[in-house]
Amino acid sequence: MNTPEFDVIVVGSGITGGWAAKELTEAGLRVLMIERGRKIEHQVDYETETKAPWDMPFRGLGDAELYREEYPVQALNRHFTEFTQGHFVNDAENPYATAPGSDFTWFRSYQLGGRSLTWGRQSYRWSDYDFGANKRDGHGTDWPIRYADLAPWYDKVEEFIGVSGAAEGLKQLPDGKFQPPMALNVVEQHVRGVLAERYPGRVLTIGRTANLTEPKPDQGRGACHSRSICARGCSYGAYFSTQSSTLPAAKKTGRLTLITDAIVEKIDYDPATKRVTGVRWFDTTDNTRKQATARIVFLNAGSFNSNHLLLNSTSEAMPHGLANGSGVLGTHIMDHANTLSAAAMMPGFEGHTSFGNRPTGAIIPRYRNMDVMDGIGHTRGFSFQGGALQSTWTRAKREAGIGEDYKARMREVGPWRMVLVGFADCVPRVTNRLTLDPVKTDAHGIPQLNVAFAFGKEEMAALAQAKAEASEMLTAAGGQVMFGFDRPGPGGTAIHEMGGARMGWDPATSVLNRWSQAHQIANLFVTDGAQMSSSACQNPSLTYMALTARAADAAVTMLKEGKI
Amino acid sequence: MSEAKQWNRRELIGGIALLAAAIGVPAAVVSLSALSPDDAPTDRQRAIITAASQHVIPRTATPGAADVGVGDFVILALAHGLDGTRAPSGAAGMPQVARFQRPDGSLRFLDWLEDALDARGRSDWLARTPAEQSAALARLDAEAFAQGADKHPWRAIKALILTGYYTSQAGGSRELRYVLDPGRYDGDVPLAPHTPAFSSDWSAVDFG
Repeated sequence: MNTPEFDVIVVGSGITGGWAAKELTEAGLRVLMIERGRKIEHQVDYETETKAPWDMPFRGLGDAELYREEYPVQALNRHFTEFTQGHFVNDAENPYATAPGSDFTWFRSYQLGGRSLTWGRQSYRWSDYDFGANKRDGHGTDWPIRYADLAPWYDKVEEFIGVSGAAEGLKQLPDGKFQPPMALNVVEQHVRGVLAERYPGRVLTIGRTANLTEPKPDQGRGACHSRSICARGCSYGAYFSTQSSTLPAAKKTGRLTLITDAIVEKIDYDPATKRVTGVRWFDTTDNTRKQATARIVFLNAGSFNSNHLLLNSTSEAMPHGLANGSGVLGTHIMDHANTLSAAAMMPGFEGHTSFGNRPTGAIIPRYRNMDVMDGIGHTRGFSFQGGALQSTWTRAKREAGIGEDYKARMREVGPWRMVLVGFADCVPRVTNRLTLDPVKTDAHGIPQLNVAFAFGKEEMAALAQAKAEASEMLTAAGGQVMFGFDRPGPGGTAIHEMGGARMGWDPATSVLNRWSQAHQIANLFVTDGAQMSSSACQNPSLTYMALTARAADAAVTMLKEGKI
Repeated sequence: MSEAKQWNRRELIGGIALLAAAIGVPAAVVSLSALSPDDAPTDRQRAIITAASQHVIPRTATPGAADVGVGDFVILALAHGLDGTRAPSGAAGMPQVARFQRPDGSLRFLDWLEDALDARGRSDWLARTPAEQSAALARLDAEAFAQGADKHPWRAIKALILTGYYTSQAGGSRELRYVLDPGRYDGDVPLAPHTPAFSSDWSAVDFG
């Protein structure tokens, strides 16, 4: 066999791809990172970063006609605006299919840095309530790891990316290596106090976010300026992205080769050695097909696209997809069921306001189904994210009136209100699955991904309880609840789609082992959200990063020991 | 996908917007010439939406809506369907609205507004005195914000007038306060009566 060109090929440059490239190059390996989208250079290419609404042709709202035709899914994302549209995919050019009866909004960012440029930055550790969830209630398959396996890797990731947050000593949401927390505002502080007094076990705390409150001069990153326009790109480097953080680290080693505009279509597999040998891609700059070889492949294409790539990498030896001897590849996909559980007016703070735009909200971590099973109709958790804010001019749309008095009224800082958005654990189900569409292909002839997804009674029950309790808590805090919902948005709404190549103990029922390594193929690792066996009810990106750092370390050790 | 390719995709505005930015003219003003005939208003409709916008947000110590070109922004916004204005209208069932419906169920808002104001002014609305114009518009506004009228077409037009005004430089940074780079966050600051809100409080814009 010829000597492979690279030690490792990393497919994808988003949150986990960047981490894989950093860890593997820093360990001395020669890495090729392949990104399907265009190159976006830190600072230089954040073209709308300092623009005002009046600098934009559609005042920041964007061209709705263009969005209807070319961005019908992405335009549903709250972070998708005229300022940020360049950081999201064109849906018309990047089609996917949904199964009959399925409604799934797949939010994507095909570019260097992937969704690390547009992510919500909320960074939470998972606990043993989460890693033990499948074993406890029998849904899905047991995670082959527990919190203790991941704790040191959470430490490493948090210290590098910078996570601001408050230590609360909660078993369900373990504390991390935090930078100083951002401040709660006056209303949130009040609600925190009411919960502490009246609801033992419930805590309102500031969102733990990958926005720096102290600079990281070693990475050339400054502290957050409280603009809260992160998804445009941040030239201060104040939030974690591939561009601001992991890519410079990987580049510094001199061992990173980066290719953009390259859509990986297939991973090559050698049945004789039972190893993957490299990948093939479509180069969109010159419309040619290319390939490269490596000793190890790390899949970090994003949860669904990593599944897609495995499903599409069929061969005579692996007719149902790469590493799919179990037949479970593509199944048990998840996304958090979320909805606006309660919105309330919060009177009593009329003499108070805030200054600056805090790029995080407040959260109420899970408090149900921990040591006592007290969920109504569900066995897992829900948590809340939200916060208190004062309205500005947009409230004028709801108010009658014209003329000078109206203008004067609308000029003023509006009343305080508070929202709690519920996030419910999503049960892994075999019927929620990804397949290759048998008919539809994309512009390059690659079969489209077909998504079959529906929430079930457990998520509905959790959100019903979340609605009732959010309303009760805000009322207890003096709020006047205006409305709340108990039905989730379509799958994908939380932008936490995950699973499909789940980790497990048994090669017969899972795709990956406890090292994020394919049971069937020792030199293939999948370290993005595809590996998840359950969903928890807190944001998953920090866990993906910790699992990636852990898998990279394991791969390096195995390589040194001659095991792969 | 390159940035250049993305910007080229803006069929209606494209180079015109860049030119407008370069010479300091609001993009919405010059792009009207690029509207398709179906979306282009008559001169009278343009005069009506311009005057109506100024009645909603009149000139005070800061410019009014028409002073900053909001009428043309609304025309552009309607042509592109901002805020869902090209969706099939829930108001189409109202008898006085149905005849302004396109075949796809969306409304020709400017045709409707012209008719509605003339009807409420009991003649040529534009020919009335400013006070009479304002009174007619106030009646329309009161109808639109009455209980159960949330699909009323005036609400959509008024919302675009407000968007056009408060996202203009004068509305966003003189009438309200605009601070792109606050530099810090303080969660509890005393609020004096009549303190202007921030147009740059993005969460408040989205959720307020």
